[in-house]
Amino acid sequence: MSGSAGSLKNKSYELRKRVLDMCVKAGTGHVTSSLSSVDIMVALYYGGILKYDTDNPQWNARDRFILSKGQASPLLYAVLADTGFFELSELDRFAQLDGMFGVHLQWDVPGVELTSGSLGHGFGVAAGIALGALMDKDLFMVFTLLGDGECYEGSIWESAMFAAHNKLNNLVAIVDRNYLCVTDFTENIIALEPMEDKWRACGWNVKRVNGHSIEDIVEALAYVRCRRSHKPLVLIADTVKGEGIECLTNNPIWHGQAPKGKDAEMARVCLLMRQDNE
Amino acid sequence: MNNIAQRDAFWNKIYEIAAADRNVVLISADMGAPSLDKFRKDLPAQFVNAGIAEQNAVLIGAGLALKGKKVYLYAIAPFITLRCLEQIRVECSIMNIPMTIAGVGAGMSYEDSGPTHHALEDIAIMRSMPNITIHNITDSVMARAVAAMSYNIKNTTYVRIDREVFPDIYSPDTVFTAGASVVKTGKDFYLVSTGCMTHTALQVAKRLEERSIHAGVIDIYRFPINEAFLMETLRGVKKIVTLEEHFLAGGLGSALGEVIIDNSLPVKLRRLGIGHDKGFCYKYGGREVIREYYGLDKGSLERKIEEFLKD
Repeated sequence: MSGSAGSLKNKSYELRKRVLDMCVKAGTGHVTSSLSSVDIMVALYYGGILKYDTDNPQWNARDRFILSKGQASPLLYAVLADTGFFELSELDRFAQLDGMFGVHLQWDVPGVELTSGSLGHGFGVAAGIALGALMDKDLFMVFTLLGDGECYEGSIWESAMFAAHNKLNNLVAIVDRNYLCVTDFTENIIALEPMEDKWRACGWNVKRVNGHSIEDIVEALAYVRCRRSHKPLVLIADTVKGEGIECLTNNPIWHGQAPKGKDAEMARVCLLMRQDNE
Repeated sequence: MNNIAQRDAFWNKIYEIAAADRNVVLISADMGAPSLDKFRKDLPAQFVNAGIAEQNAVLIGAGLALKGKKVYLYAIAPFITLRCLEQIRVECSIMNIPMTIAGVGAGMSYEDSGPTHHALEDIAIMRSMPNITIHNITDSVMARAVAAMSYNIKNTTYVRIDREVFPDIYSPDTVFTAGASVVKTGKDFYLVSTGCMTHTALQVAKRLEERSIHAGVIDIYRFPINEAFLMETLRGVKKIVTLEEHFLAGGLGSALGEVIIDNSLPVKLRRLGIGHDKGFCYKYGGREVIREYYGLDKGSLERKIEEFLKD
């Protein structure tokens, strides 16, 4: 890990605060979808997993990170600003007049590879980039972050079978398994479990991790560039939607909206309490 | 006249291009043809079978294009446009990732395969999106020329290929940059057609000629329509009939009507194609039988045109 465990935890807190602030200010944005992915993104961007160059976003040898669950754009934008792809002040204009970006992911933002918002796209495009990299004998990796609800899209499984058949072992998918969709828990809507079996049956190497343990995620991905397997790798990361702000967790009503007024104040207090407890 | 299938003319040219540039990649949604077999055999590293999974084919194609590949997709026309329409919308139209989408089975060229395989609304749907160019192929000369042009596209191109083998109407040295061409001059009125119906239009014009009705024929082979070309060509023309093997809603006639309205052209337009009243159909016995059902056979067309000219 490039940062100490403590500093990475602090980074998680910092990013949660940024996500909350930018969404509250804009009065929109998928706060809880972003919060469940925070620790995964900290592991990737701050834990020494992803190779990137903020001075040269189009660096040929960069790892490609494809945010397939494009509704978590506030989080990716916060990460990209924090790491230096663009000014932090840009976050204050999230989804506002003259802003560079809005609610769903936009590909022309420095550091963003792909437009997203409609689900089931990014994963397949990531597989295409990975195939192209193998054709060209490039050594970079392709990482893609999926929502678990996104796995209802049929195209996910088309691409999953394709990736395994074509031995795309330079492709890593991470499923943010927060169990919650727009209206209900996934297992009430249409059961997604047994998730591991589904991916394994498609020909993938599967690891299940605690999606809020940065250490576990980093460890699971530590030797990802020198795996002997020809199979692509999926991490199923168990998470909590809204993690870090207890008053927003595990309630579908908070999908796709930012807390306002007293709710926003309560969210800030919850986040602060969580930080103090750690 | 070399009278080869448009499909083979197109893929033979792509084969030549791909043999000279390993960045050219062909993604097939489990389609077979001798011209494809040659590609698969000789250039296996550049051939990808996406399976019967058109959504995945577009997504993989988008990823390969982002990686710098020149991407060609191939499947049956209604499947490679409609099954994966939203992938085309996001990756090709919104993001403007360039690829060449070749769909075989223009209009009713899948004949007895029935309406699931007929492409009757693909032009309307594909032309409704920005950053998409449609090439509706008329003959094998054009198929080869469009293949050559596709190597340098800046945005996604949908190449609409007919299964039927037609006589070539274009000479091998034709330049296809205008998007439309006067394939027969005339003085009484113009038949404006696209794809397979250009062959029908020429036949109808010839029969009308025998009755001293002199029809010109314009082949519109690219959408969006080249307005400047049409404005110039149709100057002074009083009557136009459009012919298309496609639903009237949103097709060639609609597109031409938009040009006429937008430019306040003083011209009467009659659109001949497939009305929603007839809808999709299961008719067997070949393309002509289906055309008769839809009133697109030569006899019906002549009758409708003559009535229109009397107005």
